[in-house]
Amino acid sequence: MAFDNETIDVLIGGYLSTDAAHEDYEAALASGGYLHGAVVVSKDLKGNLAVEQTDHMVREGAAGLGALGFAVGLFAPPLLAATAVGAVIGAGAGKLLHRRTASKLEEQAGATIPLGGAGLILAYPHSAAGKVEPAVTRAVQKAVGEAEGHHVQALKGAIADAQQKMAESST
Amino acid sequence: MSEPDRTRLPIRRPPFGGVSNRTLDGSKPDWNLIGHPEPPVGSPNVLLVLIDDAGFGNPSTFGGPISTPRYTRMAEAGLRYNRFHVTALCSPTRAALLTGRNNHAVGFGSIGELSSGFPGYTATVPRDCTPVPRVLAENGYSTAAFGKWHLTPDGQQGPAGPFDRWPNGWGFDYFYGFLGGDSGQWDPCLAENQKIIGTPEDFYDQENPYYLPDAMADKTIEWLHGVRAQDARKPFFVYFSTGCSHAPHHVAPEWADKYQGKFDQGWDRLREEVFARQKELGVVPADAELTARDAAFPAWDEVPDKLKAYYARQMEVYAGFSENADYNVGRVIDAIDELGELDNTLIIWIWGDNGASLEGAITGSFNELTMQNGIPLTDEMQLQLAERYGGIGAWGGQMMDPHYSAAWAWAGNTPFQWGKQVGSHLGGTRNPMVIHWPARITGTGALRPHFTHVIDIGPTILDIAGIPAPSHVDGIEQEPFHGVSFADSFTDPAAPEHHTQQYFETMGNRAMYKDGWWLAMKTPRIPWVLTPDALRPYAPGVWDPDTDPAELYYLPDDFTQARDLAASHPEKVAELRELFWAEAEKYKVLPLLATLSAFFGILPPMPDAVPVEYRGDVQNIMSGMIPRIYNHSYAISADLTVPAEGAEGVIVAEADHLGGFSLFVQDGKLTHTYSMMGVFIYRQQAEERLPSGEVTVRMEFAADAAKPATGGEVTLLVDGKTVGSGRMDHTVPIRFSAYAGMDIGRDNGGVVDLSYEDKKPFAFTGTVKKVTFDVKPHLSAQDEEGLHAVAQHGHAGHGLSA
Repeated sequence: MAFDNETIDVLIGGYLSTDAAHEDYEAALASGGYLHGAVVVSKDLKGNLAVEQTDHMVREGAAGLGALGFAVGLFAPPLLAATAVGAVIGAGAGKLLHRRTASKLEEQAGATIPLGGAGLILAYPHSAAGKVEPAVTRAVQKAVGEAEGHHVQALKGAIADAQQKMAESST
Repeated sequence: MSEPDRTRLPIRRPPFGGVSNRTLDGSKPDWNLIGHPEPPVGSPNVLLVLIDDAGFGNPSTFGGPISTPRYTRMAEAGLRYNRFHVTALCSPTRAALLTGRNNHAVGFGSIGELSSGFPGYTATVPRDCTPVPRVLAENGYSTAAFGKWHLTPDGQQGPAGPFDRWPNGWGFDYFYGFLGGDSGQWDPCLAENQKIIGTPEDFYDQENPYYLPDAMADKTIEWLHGVRAQDARKPFFVYFSTGCSHAPHHVAPEWADKYQGKFDQGWDRLREEVFARQKELGVVPADAELTARDAAFPAWDEVPDKLKAYYARQMEVYAGFSENADYNVGRVIDAIDELGELDNTLIIWIWGDNGASLEGAITGSFNELTMQNGIPLTDEMQLQLAERYGGIGAWGGQMMDPHYSAAWAWAGNTPFQWGKQVGSHLGGTRNPMVIHWPARITGTGALRPHFTHVIDIGPTILDIAGIPAPSHVDGIEQEPFHGVSFADSFTDPAAPEHHTQQYFETMGNRAMYKDGWWLAMKTPRIPWVLTPDALRPYAPGVWDPDTDPAELYYLPDDFTQARDLAASHPEKVAELRELFWAEAEKYKVLPLLATLSAFFGILPPMPDAVPVEYRGDVQNIMSGMIPRIYNHSYAISADLTVPAEGAEGVIVAEADHLGGFSLFVQDGKLTHTYSMMGVFIYRQQAEERLPSGEVTVRMEFAADAAKPATGGEVTLLVDGKTVGSGRMDHTVPIRFSAYAGMDIGRDNGGVVDLSYEDKKPFAFTGTVKKVTFDVKPHLSAQDEEGLHAVAQHGHAGHGLSA
């Protein structure tokens, strides 16, 4: 497939612990599947943010994942869909997904990653999905988006698709 | 001096036997007037030990995997009772233990925090059922209780009492422990006698941190030494009631690490191993069958490999925690031995009050309160949350309040079915008991298979002390004991069984025992599930208890309840079912499911909803007594004096990072942190610094709706001006903590916001003059009624898991 006409997958994972996100991040890197880029962002219980990324796309002249936006609805597991003690406790947390900003990765992640939480974004050619996706085993919430087109356009589309699916899974 | 009349208490002072003339000339004193009641000659000391939330198959003394050498030492020099019974729930067993009467009859059909308007469920002992410690104290014993109490209603655990519901009111001269159903072992909020004393100062000692099990033993030994320093002869009665092995399972790693790898085989194999050892020891008959696994528990083979280490660590910590209890009870026994009084001390050591607890659900939890708050977390989520707070290696440490999987509890109740809350089966009602009394027990190391029950303990103690059951106390005629002494079995293995009939009832799960036959009537509800769907079949007008499945066992031939005979003995089923109803009426068990009445619209009167004000530095408000801020809008405001150089510290804080809130000043800015059970943590901070002088700060939570776990918007205000805001998507629907308290002007114990942990308790450096909670800023009458119902659901939910 020509570079400017490809199908890109973006996987978004949400985690309750930094350890789990890093475990999947490392597993994805070791999966043998080609990655356009990978980002793991976490925030500790005191509010300190940490970002780690292996952004191959920068090297390839395209925009990196961070510059494309990190408005991921991380950590919105279907936590309250069921309940105990006799009453339905309900509420989605999908609205975070709609808080897209154009600011830098850390600002975006700082706003979207909850204290103690972590998020992972992986971008890869659709042809690598068979290796990359199975490596992500610990996300408490996961969505995979897909888009075709020019490289950056495909990436943006795949991120948007993944976000949409994440939102749907949260409500 | 003649023997006093002990049937009417207090014992009357003897009449003056001397002479009082107009002057000392010819007058003769009677020194008996200044004496005090003394027990009958030869009355022994009594040490009554109760371990919490443990099962028949836990201690090695009864074949379990947990090393209990001190328990075994007592058993080998004393007696093992392998058919001893409890009530399947914490407070009911304790009430029965300390009164010698059936738990419902003394108001404890449910737990201490949960009092309701039916006679069997008031959580208040009637005055015609005077507790045994009071009887002993009135007869000249020194009495003391240490550790878990769990017999004081939730709203009565403060300085206003009433104190007849506290340990001193039950007849204990001294109490050191906690009033609720469970407690952190690192950071308890303690009571001493009639005062909440909060978290001990040693909690802040990083090198030698406070640990309640150690402190309980220390305090007991200190008390014993004090009594003996004053009186060399006066017998003592010590009730040593451990918080172990109830959640949170807190113990240092060196205890848990002893069991590393010991549970990798899983719960199914563990049961088989324990069962084999039980037969070798003889505590289970050779012909007994191991009961089958109910479908409510997954097979170990079904657990994903990646999660097996998580599950195994849960049990390693539980085991280490339990072994530590054995160690600390041993320290108390050694201290008695060192006093030279072990021979004439009757030790009654009961390993568990309701079987092991199933309340961790299948997943177990890094925070026991996630279950009570109805937060459905998968095991992967639980593992990740454990990682957030230090990883599974830190399970048992200060950062988590862990509970293990229900499947481990079920294995801990080997060889029986079910566990805590299930009063219909032996998993929740049969626990090990060891009796040690060298002065009287000579056939040591023997087994006693007598059917005995927790209501027999009080009458047995009085029997061996030579003290009659009082007919009147404080002028009030007394209800006779329902239990019966089994003291004759101490010395006579052939002594007849005196306890031949007993009802059981917990949360609608019920049983009727008579002459070896046991009718088990378990409601189909899984004990840890309280969803609307699970409760709906029990609604008034819907539930017919007699249609519940009935199982019939003949225990002399079937020790474990493995062979259901109901189909072949319908007449026995009918007979025992009718007998149960008669006993239930006699002992105030009715109405069944009174504990769940709130779920079916039967609610107590609504409390006053006036603003709650705290002046001065009020400390350690018990978690069941904080203002009603759950599930709706509320506001917290505080009047402060801020010095010219500024101030920092906590204005008001409830509980800790695993559930709670804190309004504080950090870096000169007003800050609010809210922990939704350690799962979600929200923080909002002012954008400008706090001014100096007289300042009013306010935190407003505007709920999306008055509904359980509502999200909403937070606004921070200083002197009426908005200085910060933020959103909280989820809030706590039921209860922040089982044990941690609320404080004004500081954050005692574990802190809510870990960013100030290194400054704990982070006392406010200015002055907090007043804190006001407005718990009804925006509610309609309809909302208020709905929230009242939800609050009662939560109260009942907490009650079912305490």
